[in-house]
Amino acid sequence: MAKSSVAIIGRSRLAEELFQLSREKGLQATLHPDADGIAASASLVVETHAADEEHKREILRKLDADLPRSSVLLTSCLGSPATRIASWTTRPERIVGFATFYPIKEKKVIELSAGMRAQEESMKEAGSFFHGLGKETVRVKDGSGLIFPRILSMIINEAVRSLDEGVAQAEEIDAAMRLGVNYPLGPLRWADQIGLDEVLAVLEGLQRETGEDRYRPAPLLKKMVLAGWLGEASGRGFYSYGK
Amino acid sequence: MGAGIAQISAQAGCETLLYDISQEFVDKGLGRIRAFLQRGRERGKITAEEEERILARLRTTLKLEELAGSTLVIEAVPEQLDLKRDIFKQLDALCSPQTLLATNTSSFSVTAIASAARHPERVLGMHFFNPPPLMALVEVIRGERTSAAAMEMGMELARRIGKTPVPAKDTPGFIVNRTARAFYNEALCILGEGQAEVATIDRVMKEAGRFPMGPFELMDLIGIDINFAATQSLYQSYFYDPRFRPSPIQQRMVMAGNLGRKTGRGFYTYGEK
Repeated sequence: MAKSSVAIIGRSRLAEELFQLSREKGLQATLHPDADGIAASASLVVETHAADEEHKREILRKLDADLPRSSVLLTSCLGSPATRIASWTTRPERIVGFATFYPIKEKKVIELSAGMRAQEESMKEAGSFFHGLGKETVRVKDGSGLIFPRILSMIINEAVRSLDEGVAQAEEIDAAMRLGVNYPLGPLRWADQIGLDEVLAVLEGLQRETGEDRYRPAPLLKKMVLAGWLGEASGRGFYSYGK
Repeated sequence: MGAGIAQISAQAGCETLLYDISQEFVDKGLGRIRAFLQRGRERGKITAEEEERILARLRTTLKLEELAGSTLVIEAVPEQLDLKRDIFKQLDALCSPQTLLATNTSSFSVTAIASAARHPERVLGMHFFNPPPLMALVEVIRGERTSAAAMEMGMELARRIGKTPVPAKDTPGFIVNRTARAFYNEALCILGEGQAEVATIDRVMKEAGRFPMGPFELMDLIGIDINFAATQSLYQSYFYDPRFRPSPIQQRMVMAGNLGRKTGRGFYTYGEK
């Protein structure tokens, strides 16, 4: 590709960070809250919504209609497998899933998944976007949340249940996991950094896709998301962040 | 694990008595402590005088009665409920009313062990992590009948021996073993579904997740049999909640004797053993 321009869609800190990083790396990047105003020249669109599948579906349908045939669409598959997302569009061959959590800065590897009908060219294009940001990529079989977000969300879900059941306080649970099994962050502090809505989206996606009870989100996690206590980004989650 | 706990106690300046059922076991435990301290001296972490003082604070015995006057007794016998209950029944009868009695169990309810004692209010859990001299955490577990005073004293004594105590209610797996289950079990699910291979999952967890080790490397280090037993125990304790369901992959590995590093073969191979 001669001059590549990338349009990033989303309101999360992850979207903001992807936008900043793309600029730093010399890409022509624009940031948009939703599918409106995307230049027809965008060769790659990175759509980052995790929660609210209905809203995500509207965005994908609009992009599908507006974008030129050649554009590749990289979409967050935290809450839905890439194949499911691709099924909302008329050109599933250009849809590529990726799954990662904020912050992207500290991540060496980004996971990609091809929907069942994704084309190899689209996968390559998605890969070179992340390589351009200084990241390595691995391809894994399609699913909700892929690997790291899926495993971490399950760990967080269990920590939230323990908190809700009164097994220990948030600080104590986090300290125990850092000191007992050397986790880089306590799971509740980690959830606050990622955003509780993103963690919930992974669990709900897995529960919906598999029908398995093991993915049932902790009631406290759901309530906190409904209350708008999403973590660092909203000033309050399991901890307070003085906003 | 008992020797490791005795070592940190002596290192923290406490007069420490190491009890075991035979001279052979006592000598083995003491041998491990000596070897650990010697390595520490050779690497310049402790001086020869410190090493000597630590060892001087450490005595051994084959008589349970000798523990009677202790401030704190920490039990770290093999994970068999009857054996643990029997020891607490004896300790409760032998020890002074002021002695705090702690179990280092990871898989049993502290309440189930404590109820063997006539005074369960002075019984609590002190769950150390392997190896105790290097791991800072102690989960201090409040059984159903553990008194507030006993919990306070348990927290204080854990700090006294240089550890960071975290209090928790007596629930299956306490905090760490319960929450960490997902790290192993979900990775095994992903492997079982053929979503990614062992090395890819480990790599992603380290390089996207910043975990110090991948789940499969860690299971190989811990021992697949040990890890599988912990999962089974938790699964039973939660009355077969599907969140804790063990993996058939892990079960097959145990059946095959591929137990990880200790047998030379687990999720990875480590050369002939």
